[in-house]
Amino acid sequence: MGSAPEASELASPAQEPLIGRLPDAVLFYWQNRPVTAAAFLQDALRLAQELPDATHMVNLCRDRYAFAVAFAAALLRRQPCLLTGDHSRLGLAALAERFPGSFAAVNAADCVPLPTCPVRANGETPAIAPPVPMIPASRLAAVVFTSGSTGAPVAHRKLWGALVARSRAAAAQFTLDAAAPCAIIGTVPPQHMYGFELTVLLPLHAPAASWCGPAFYPSDVHAALAAVPASRILVTTPLQIRALLHAGSGLPSLRAAISATAPLERALADEAEQRWHTPMLEIFGATEVGSIASRRTLDGEAWTTYPGVSLQQAADATMVSAPWAEPVELADRIEALDAGHFRLLGRRTDLVKLGGRRASLSGLNRILTELDGVTDGAFLVPDDLNERVTARLMAVVVAPCRSPDSILAELRGRVDPLFLPRRVICVDALPRNELGKLPRQALQALVARLDRPA
Amino acid sequence: MTELGNSASQTLDGQTAPERAVAELLVNTLQLEVAVDAIDPDMRLFGEGLGLDSIDALELALAITRAYGFELRSDDERNQQIFASLRSLTGHIEAHRTK
Repeated sequence: MGSAPEASELASPAQEPLIGRLPDAVLFYWQNRPVTAAAFLQDALRLAQELPDATHMVNLCRDRYAFAVAFAAALLRRQPCLLTGDHSRLGLAALAERFPGSFAAVNAADCVPLPTCPVRANGETPAIAPPVPMIPASRLAAVVFTSGSTGAPVAHRKLWGALVARSRAAAAQFTLDAAAPCAIIGTVPPQHMYGFELTVLLPLHAPAASWCGPAFYPSDVHAALAAVPASRILVTTPLQIRALLHAGSGLPSLRAAISATAPLERALADEAEQRWHTPMLEIFGATEVGSIASRRTLDGEAWTTYPGVSLQQAADATMVSAPWAEPVELADRIEALDAGHFRLLGRRTDLVKLGGRRASLSGLNRILTELDGVTDGAFLVPDDLNERVTARLMAVVVAPCRSPDSILAELRGRVDPLFLPRRVICVDALPRNELGKLPRQALQALVARLDRPA
Repeated sequence: MTELGNSASQTLDGQTAPERAVAELLVNTLQLEVAVDAIDPDMRLFGEGLGLDSIDALELALAITRAYGFELRSDDERNQQIFASLRSLTGHIEAHRTK
């Protein structure tokens, strides 16, 4: 079970420390005080002894520090962390069924359909720093998920060596300086790959300390930035950049602001740079490959790949290779400019992206058409999905005996809230062509016709 | 109930005047496909009920600041209570509004 090392782990002598920082280095800001590497290690070692025997840990901690402690403890206990953004009952029940013998690490009294273990931590630096454990680079540290075209999530494995290598690569990419450690204020959940890499893993191996208090609303971000010393790096998303700019008032001095999860409009980047007097950077990545490139948005469309990451063009797809990571096919289409630079051509059309989450359109359609009483149906993605904050998907359904409300209610447990249709429209038939295909324009025209007042 | 019971648009179906104002803010800000009257004060706003999501929460926070003059903070557990329903959100707004 959980304590049996994988065969690959025994075969490889390579090891990486759990923490690559000095014992008194600040790794996190938690409950308004700095937490040192020694304190974090002490908390992780203590929790590792309290964890139940299990195969996997579903890390549901919302508190970023509790999340980090739980992740480290699970790593020590050889319990890979399952990271999911779907915390719905149905989603978690499906995860528990797929990974039998797993439990959930929680930092609040959450009601979840699997055994739980509360995560306790105190963040206090011990009198004597414990020795830092070495972890085989080949140990499976985390499993992350993307939505697949079958409607079921696809699992992606992250080895410890890959995560450490990427943290070091990020430190080089953003020239983080050990002589002047930075404070990271992340607005992205730790379960999201971008948040996991930049706000949980980075402090373990790079000169950075991550803020673990609230950082969702503009006022939270203001308070967080004011609470940490310079140099500050804001790790966020286009949505939150927009909200921060709309909320008005300047920000304390920043060393950089970093955006990911969706393309950052040039105008927004320009406004952010002018208002905040800081470079507005973007990271390009994906759940299955992590962060692989960055750019300053205003410098143009060329992305610079992280050190150690290489891209190979194969037929229609791009493969990404990196230390300790299996080559992965990229979901976006790119054009290589030279060995270290590329530009994005676009996304494969089956993918829908919203609020940092990704879904497969065919997967969504499959979930829809598998509902009882639904004879045909399709999701429609508005053209301006990523330009208009209030834009969401809609669903057009053929279901003679069902109401739109009942269909929506049933989708709720099965579909990420962000991808729930804002409208469910019942029709007699979908405008399929003679091949049975549903041209997007025909579906759009049908909806436009229905919307036109009679 | 209200004295204006003969006017269909003002029967309020249980909404108080401040609740109706917040319901209007919700529908207009988020461009929801529901009638303002149709939002039951006890209906859940996130997840079930109105089915709002995290993008909506951020957008709503900006609109609340513009309309009522105070800023929302995420003090975790309490925040879930505030956003639980139209009634709880309105109660929070009425207690903290500066305009």
